[in-house]
This record gives sequence, structure tokens and C-alpha cells, in this order.
Amino acid sequence: MQKLAADVAIIGGGAAGCYAALCLHKQGLKPLIICKGLVGKSGASLFAGNLVISGRLLGNTEAQARNTAEFLIKYHNQFLIDQNWARRCGEWIERVYYPELEELGLYFRRDDAGNVVTSPGAIRSVAANVQGNSGVPFMDLRRKQIMRAGIPRLEETVATALLRNSKGNVSGVVCLDYINGTYVVVQARAVVLATGYSDRLHKRSTGTREMSADGIAMAWRAGADLVNMEMQWWHTNDIADPPCWQRMQVYPNPMLGSEKSARMLNSAGEEFFNQQNDDPLAFGPYTVQLKALAKQVRSGKARYDGGYYAGFDHCDAAEVEAYTTYGKAFRQLGLSFPDELVETSVTSHYRQGGIDVDNATMRASIPGLYVAGGVGGHSNGLIGLATYDGKVVADGIAGDFDRLEEESVSENEWTAEIRRLDRLRNSSGTGTSPATLKNMIRDLMWDKVGVEKDAAGLEAALSQIQQIRLELLPEMKISSGNRVANYEWLDAIDVVNMVDACEVIVHSSLQRKESRGPFFRRDFPSTDNRHWLAANVLKKAGNEIRFEKRPYELPYFSPSFETRDNLEVPW
Amino acid sequence: MPADLADRPLSAASRMGQLERADTLAARNRRFSEGQKIQVRIRRHDDLGTRYQQFEVPYQKRMRVLDALNWIADHEAGDLAYRWICGSRMCGTCAVRMNGREVLSCWEAVEPAMTIEPLRNLPVIRDLVVDRSPFEQKVAALEPWIERAVPYAGFPEKLTHRQMKDASKALDCIGCMCCYSACPVIGLGGLTDFAGPAPLVQLGQTALDPRNSKEKLARSLALTSIFSCISCYKCEEACPAAIPIVSRVIEPLKARAAELLPQMAIHSRAFRTIIAQRGRIDPGALVLRVQGVRALANFSRIFRMLIRGKVNPLKTLLGIRTAASRPAQHLLGKGNNGS
Repeated sequence: MQKLAADVAIIGGGAAGCYAALCLHKQGLKPLIICKGLVGKSGASLFAGNLVISGRLLGNTEAQARNTAEFLIKYHNQFLIDQNWARRCGEWIERVYYPELEELGLYFRRDDAGNVVTSPGAIRSVAANVQGNSGVPFMDLRRKQIMRAGIPRLEETVATALLRNSKGNVSGVVCLDYINGTYVVVQARAVVLATGYSDRLHKRSTGTREMSADGIAMAWRAGADLVNMEMQWWHTNDIADPPCWQRMQVYPNPMLGSEKSARMLNSAGEEFFNQQNDDPLAFGPYTVQLKALAKQVRSGKARYDGGYYAGFDHCDAAEVEAYTTYGKAFRQLGLSFPDELVETSVTSHYRQGGIDVDNATMRASIPGLYVAGGVGGHSNGLIGLATYDGKVVADGIAGDFDRLEEESVSENEWTAEIRRLDRLRNSSGTGTSPATLKNMIRDLMWDKVGVEKDAAGLEAALSQIQQIRLELLPEMKISSGNRVANYEWLDAIDVVNMVDACEVIVHSSLQRKESRGPFFRRDFPSTDNRHWLAANVLKKAGNEIRFEKRPYELPYFSPSFETRDNLEVPW
Repeated sequence: MPADLADRPLSAASRMGQLERADTLAARNRRFSEGQKIQVRIRRHDDLGTRYQQFEVPYQKRMRVLDALNWIADHEAGDLAYRWICGSRMCGTCAVRMNGREVLSCWEAVEPAMTIEPLRNLPVIRDLVVDRSPFEQKVAALEPWIERAVPYAGFPEKLTHRQMKDASKALDCIGCMCCYSACPVIGLGGLTDFAGPAPLVQLGQTALDPRNSKEKLARSLALTSIFSCISCYKCEEACPAAIPIVSRVIEPLKARAAELLPQMAIHSRAFRTIIAQRGRIDPGALVLRVQGVRALANFSRIFRMLIRGKVNPLKTLLGIRTAASRPAQHLLGKGNNGS
């Protein structure tokens, strides 16, 4: 067992975690990054396809600037967002984010004459080198910044529990370096959870291998409030096969340097979604697409898990490939590009909800615990927003720092956690393997907590989750007690987190008695702004969940109706 | 086939192998029917030793190598250690060798019979998991970032894609280390100080960027032993991101090294000068120019070279030209541009 000390322990090595570390370092504090994958190479940030232009950057008109804000609030968050926060964030992106990234060397794609290439239309975007692949150089830059600043990082190391001192402050983390099989106990004045937007909780998920809702589960177990856990976003046109490509998207976003973008066809060969015709304003029209698909599914011309197609057969290959990576996947499957389409499927994508935070400081509801990026419940899915959180959390912690206690965590706390991990490694029950349990959870989430939900299905999901928790987890069996690179041990650790997270997601889904954006309830098909334009807050009360409703203020944008069938709502 | 590859002539060295692979992509994806059995042989390694284990995997539609590994871990060998994160050619952590060649397991279609082994040139931790740290340390030592000679002027700064053409190619690198495993010079182990293709591509991302200062560039290049690269194109053949590693990264970096640190390029420069002057290579002259008079101290080597006719002191001394010297001079100029 290794003991480490830092001022701030940051769990997560994506856009939010890296930027938080860099800002804290700049403030003279000592951050330490704990990353379950590899810093800059795991999690959702890697998948940033492009960067949305905010404000008046790059010749954006006043209308385009407003469109971007409207898109963020309406199409991206269905009004479940603090609009004042969104405004602060947009201003920072315009003033700091772009210039800072370019000064560091990020290559905003130019043409041969030197103009920054943008996508056209009501909302514009740019790419870091290539559209569809922007997250790779972006996060590589962060990885190298972390290296250059000499910020220590524990990689391929999973955080398994938050530690609290005698006053109840979060002030440490128990970790497992699963490559070497060694435990690390980190003591810190503050802990930042930055574990990302996505998780691999459904049969098809965009979350990467390591994303098993660890941040949500650890925060909940430590007693932090959660919010809007039911608000799950979906990708509508991810490639159906092969299985490991489940998050590979046929991007619906407008293309750089082109007036066109991907279109979608149902099983009868009829086009049912084309960005340019169907929704030019919805820049990343995920919800709009999902609603279009739902109508196809209801008329028997598509399934949520396939039977419909996407591609660029109406475009010129050279035009698509001038600034994008979009042709590569088709070619790799031996398809003729752009003439052939590829079968697509729905994939569970970002969770809009997450840990409840005070978005001025990124404090969670328990002292010492902070949040940055997608695991927070305050916003949804853009790399710029997640990065902004890194700045805010660093400022928040720096402001609180003198008040945060240095009192160390008692040894009992972490030895108990290490005993739990040892027991998991030696799981010698007669029952199910962790991999089988993971698949079981993902199947039940897909079947009963998928795109379309109702009370009966959700109740059935709850009882299945209870059965897994009470009957299958104690009898889990792993095939080797080897400590080194034992991914099955890691799976056993993950499964416990997945059970905890799925349970709160299902409870939360039952609680929201309406449909909103990508959240479809068959038994409550209408969007109900009178009762549900509100945060669905979950508080832990012993072994129970107490729900509270907190309305959102609407200073800039507000919906134009009280109730309406969700499928007829354009956002 | 990547669009830019298709534009190059069939005879271009950089298309070797890649062309062959690309040609069979359609066939590779249509070779199997659902449920058909694939034979997978995996090299297992732990502290008890190394062995190969055989598995039979049912084909799933459009199956990738990674899908086969996932199936094995889910159904047959829960303790199989293999690294992957994204499953869609972005994180670059799932590279293995399949039937002797480096592939990104999430990207490559399965074969009817596959032997899966870990990457070469990196220590194996367990099964298919290699230790990435030697590569990471090399990259960090090269300081792959920008130090501006001129202060940043504000967004958007003056820059064209033409200036970024080579750097842009290098920016497609996902750090999968397929090229590092395939490189025969790295395969020589400690015999050279060669940084290797992957670290050079990582360096190329900023070193080929016109915004980086020459001082910074020279400092980094000095650590690469870049002229140990023998331009065999193995790296390009292996690259799943289709980066023209030799022609668009290593060769341009060599040119900059020759310009900024002429001493590094002494061998290439001498080689070029001799060809330009004489129309052919003269090993004797080359050794003398590169090593100076101390080359003469190695009597036994000189003796062996004389006996085998490798050197002809008379021709070297007289600088005798061949018929090819005139066109060579025409093509290479005076021969003092060491690239």
C-alpha cells in the first residue's frame, strides 16, 4: 500500500480534470490526477468531434451568437440548466478558451489561404485539425501540458471510495493501480470528481471501457445529492456492427466547408432525417433525430437497435473528406463511400444529470467534495463547458482552501475499503462472473430503461437490480486472484458501482412524471413545463431516497407552452 | 483506402503493404457468415511463464479483432489481460500483433485463424498488456510542445494549412505504437539511440509547426538520433491512422535536423556529396568523411574490407568519377544539402 498526499485529488483525466489540474497548479496548489484510463486518452473528451463557436468569434453575427446560446439551453438541455451559468460559460469560451488553446498550439483547421474553416449555417463550429477527430489532438495537448507542468498522475488507477474525516469532510481517496495490483491511499484537502458525461450502463453505450459510473456511485455512497439522473441522452445513428464500434457515430452535425451533412433512411429506404431540411438550427440535433426515429419505430420502419441506415450518399466524397474523418469507418468496413449507407442503432450517450453542484464554486453538497465536467448535473455534453468547469472548480477550491481541514482520515476508513477490494479479488462464489453481471445489467437497462420507458418496466428493472445486488453480487466468482493487470477484478469493482448508479437512475426516472427532450415516458407522453421545468434532486436519507423539486429560472429563454406531446416539441 | 493514399502513384514506396491491405478490405469484411467459428490463438504471459492458448469464437457481424477478444474474456477466459479503452480508433491503446503484423484490434477485421500476440519492443506486463512507459518517457524527453519565437498575436493567428500540411498529418497520431513495434531499428534494442517512429510523429506534431521556434526544435531533434532511420517504410505500413510517417514526418524532420544541426546529418551529407561528385557511393570515402582519420585505426576492419573489395583506396584517393557523376551532380547539386 502506498500513501500519497496532495492539496487536491482529481479523479478523471479528461477535459475537465486536466484543466482543473492545470488551473490549480497555476494557483500554486498541488493537484494529483487519478485516472482510470490514461490521461487524455480515455473517457468522453476524446470524442469531441468539433468545437462550437460561441459569441462573436470568427465573424459570428449577433444572430448566430444568440442561436448558439439558444441551442445550448433548449436543444441541448431542454431548459434544465442555469441560464446565468450558461452565459458566464459562453463569455469565457469567447474570451479565454479559444485564444488560450491556440496560443498553446492547438491547430484550428485552416484552408490553404489561411482562413479558419467553419461549418456554415445558424450555428457554426470549427475543428481541431479534422472534424470528427478533434478530441484527439485536443486531449493530446492537455496530456502534454500536464506532463510539462510536472503534475503527478496515477494512470490505469481506479478510485474506489471517497474517504471522510471525523468532521465528515471528504479528504481522501482509496485507489487501486490495477496494472501493478497495488493500493494507493491519497490524502487531500479537497477531492474533485471529474469522471465524465457517459457511462457504460446500457447494452449500447458511448462510454468507454472504464466508464462504469464510478463517480456517481462514490458520490452517492458518500452522501452527496444527485440531480436529473433520468435525463439520458442518446446517439441516434451510431454504427450497428461490429459490437465494439457501438459508439462510432455517423455524425449528424453540419460539416466543415460543406452545405451538407449525413442523412438517415428507414428500412423502406425513405429519408426521415436530413439536418439541412429538418432542423438547421439544432446544431447537434440529437434529440430532434431521436424523435424522428421514434416516429419511424412506431410506424414499424425502424427499430431502436437497427433496421435503419445513415450515410453520405447524397454528397461528394471529396467534399465530405476534405475536413472530416467520416469516410474512414465506411471504407474500413469494406463499404463503398459515399454510395453505400451503413446500418445504425441508438446508443446511450451523455447523462445530462449527475452530482448536484453549486455552479459558482462547483461544490457538491458534502464538504470537501467538488465536481467538474459531465459528472455534474448542471450541464450537458460539450468539451468547452467541461473545460470551463475546470476553471471554476479551481477558483472555487482556491477560495475555500484555507477553510478546508487538513485533518487526516483515520486508518480504519481506508483499511475497511482495502478489505472490501481484497474480498472482491478473491470472489470465489459459485455464481456468476463479473463480466456476465455487467452484461446482465446492461441488458436490463437497455430493455427496461431504454429510450422508451414506463412505470411497469422501471419497477421491473428495480426488482432485477435488487436481485443482482442481494443474490448475485455475494456469489460472484472471478477466475484468478492474480493482482497484476487483472481486469476481471476491475470488473468486479465496477459491477458494484453499476448496481448503485443504475438503481438511482431508475428511481429518478420513475420520479419525473413527464416526457422531456430525450426522456420518453410512454405513460406520461407530454412535456409538462408547469410541473417539471425543475431539477429532480435526489437526497440520500439513510437507505431511502428523498426527492426534491427545484425550479429553474428562465432569464433569457423560456418555452412557449405549458404542456405538449413531447414528440411534437421541436427540442 | 485513405483518400490521400489513393492519389499517390502505385509505385510510391509508401503504398506498399497499405495498398495490399486496402485492396482486401471489402473481402475481409465479407469472408464470414454469422456464427461461423474463428480459430484464435493467444499468447498468454504471466509470472509463471508464456504459453499459447487456443479458442473458438463465433463470428459476429463485421467482427473486429477486439470483438473476438471481448467474446473470449466474456465467455472463456475472464482473466485474459488486454488493454482497450474506446473501441473506435481514437485512444490507440488496443494495438496487438495479429498473424505477425501490428493491428489496432478495434479497427482490424478478424481472420479465419488468428494468432494474437502483444506488441514488440516494449516489455510485456501480462498477456497482451505491454508497458507503455518506455514510449511515454521518450515522448516526454523530446518536449513535444510549442515554444514561440514570436509572441502569440491573438485568435485567430496568421497560419495557413499549407504551412501546417505535414504537422496536420502527424496530428492524426493516436499513439498506438503499432509503428514502434514494427520498426526494425527499434528492434535492434540498445544498439542505437533512435527515438523511433511513434515518438518522432509525436514530436512532428509541434516540430513541423511553423509557430515553433528553431531553438526549441533543435533542442528536441538533438535527442532523436533521427538519422538512424533507414526509411524502410515499415512504420507507414503498420499505421492504422494512415499517416505517411516516413515521407511526411521523418523526412521533413531529417531535413530540419540537417539544417539546424548539420553534425547530426554528417553521414547523409557525406553520402550525398560523394554521389554528387562521383556518381556512385564509395564506402572508403564515406567512412573517412564520417569518422575522419580515426577510421584508419581499425586495421582489421580495413583489411577485411580490402580483401572483399569493398574499398578501393586508389579510386578514393584519386576521386575517380563514374559515367553517372554528371547526372548525379545535376540532380543533387553540389551535394551539401544533407537531407
